[in-house]
Amino acid sequence: MNAPKPASPPVLKLEGVSRQRAGRPAVHQLNLTLEAGQVLGLLGINGAGKSTTLAMIAGALLPDEGTIELQGKDFQEYPEQAGQVLGWLPESAPTWPELTVREHLDAHGRLRGLKGADLKRAGDAVLARLELNDLQRRLAGVLSQGQRQRLGLACALLHRPALLVLDEPANALDPVQVVALRGLLREVAAAGTAVILSTHQLGEVTAVCDRVAILHEGTLRYDQPLHANGHTALEKTFFDIALAGRMQPA
Amino acid sequence: MTLLAVTRLELRRLFVRPLGWIIGALALAELGWRFALLLQFFLMNQVQLASIPDGPGYTDIVIMPLLSSIALPFALAELALLIVPLLTMSSLASERAAGTLGLLYASGLSATRIFIGKYLAVLVWLALWLALALAIPVSMAQGAHLDWGKLAAATLGTFLTLAVLAAIGLACSAFSQHPAASAALALIVSVTLYCVNLGAQHAGVDSGFINWLAMSTHQDNMMRGLVSSVDVSWFLLAIAVALALGIHRLASDKERG
Repeated sequence: MNAPKPASPPVLKLEGVSRQRAGRPAVHQLNLTLEAGQVLGLLGINGAGKSTTLAMIAGALLPDEGTIELQGKDFQEYPEQAGQVLGWLPESAPTWPELTVREHLDAHGRLRGLKGADLKRAGDAVLARLELNDLQRRLAGVLSQGQRQRLGLACALLHRPALLVLDEPANALDPVQVVALRGLLREVAAAGTAVILSTHQLGEVTAVCDRVAILHEGTLRYDQPLHANGHTALEKTFFDIALAGRMQPA
Repeated sequence: MTLLAVTRLELRRLFVRPLGWIIGALALAELGWRFALLLQFFLMNQVQLASIPDGPGYTDIVIMPLLSSIALPFALAELALLIVPLLTMSSLASERAAGTLGLLYASGLSATRIFIGKYLAVLVWLALWLALALAIPVSMAQGAHLDWGKLAAATLGTFLTLAVLAAIGLACSAFSQHPAASAALALIVSVTLYCVNLGAQHAGVDSGFINWLAMSTHQDNMMRGLVSSVDVSWFLLAIAVALALGIHRLASDKERG
């Protein structure tokens, strides 16, 4: 008799994650799970804790409390493995202005253990996929914000991560590039990559996500699959949550 | 090895920034001019010097003052007090300001690896700079008698001095939000550590804690050709303290946010 195959752990699992910033709770007791191939839209008004949450998932910030597991392993105990599993595009896509586009990809690849022919192949693939071929010798410091955003995305995708963490990826992209980004996200999700996408654009979420989470004042207020005709319902839910505190009578 | 990936990235950044080339070239030009003065002095006094039993030779008159301020101010070691803070100021302070430090953390690197990786890159740059500076007087080796033992000791002493200054510069960069603040802080700390015993020396005190603390005490011994474990240990201790402080501050970035 064959033994039942053990279920693979979720790509991302947050348990009781809390983080204070400037003396106030930025994220409070956050529980979240993300499976392979899922695209989660993380919504919230400014200061809701989205970027803090994503920075903690990416390992750039330590949680004050709670655990973050990537593919079943605590990322604090296995930081190098976490680096292999995860690709992160922070808000405003930071770059080293004195390095070229190609040098960015080489540096990111080497930091994640890619080398030689594998590194070149991976670099060529993302340059072609993100239409950066013509810019590969250009310094990052002279790129437009939209081009920097695409470079950041290329760096995040270079090592084919199992989890893609994107903070406002459509910032500064023109409408054509936004549509291309949506196609790319659907493509990587279809290939099994879990995506967590923070945005202010509800339309962005309804276009590419299959699940929505809404953060408000650091706590998770909503976490549901997105329905086929969900834009209006999502908009109502979002504004109900976002305006709840303001609408209460004094 | 990801540590070497950080070193490679930092070296690339050092070599493509004009600042590194400009300060390196200006410093070498000053050292070239200094070499010409010292060589002229040596040639003018060569006959007299040759008549002194065990008198100073080319190594003592030309090479040692090129590395440390024995006869003229602004030798390599003194220039390094200014150059190293300028070289290291952007290493961590600007990465923090630009948000790229987070990218290094997201690739799974610990603060120790990031810091040591960057430190190795600065050391490589400084070693090349030292090698180019030494190439000027050593190029005369065919026509002059070089004291290779003394030269090796002086080179080691100068390299260890540069290594301490690099560790201090990087630590100051880790503690600063802005590159300019990092450079100013590193300059103050380095100059203080270099000549903290100046008052004691003027008062005729040649021993004690204050003299032990000063970097120049240990460097001067090596400039005279004396390599002792006490001096080497001092340099290694100073490097270790600066690295530990810098790594601790960098690691706390993830906690502070």
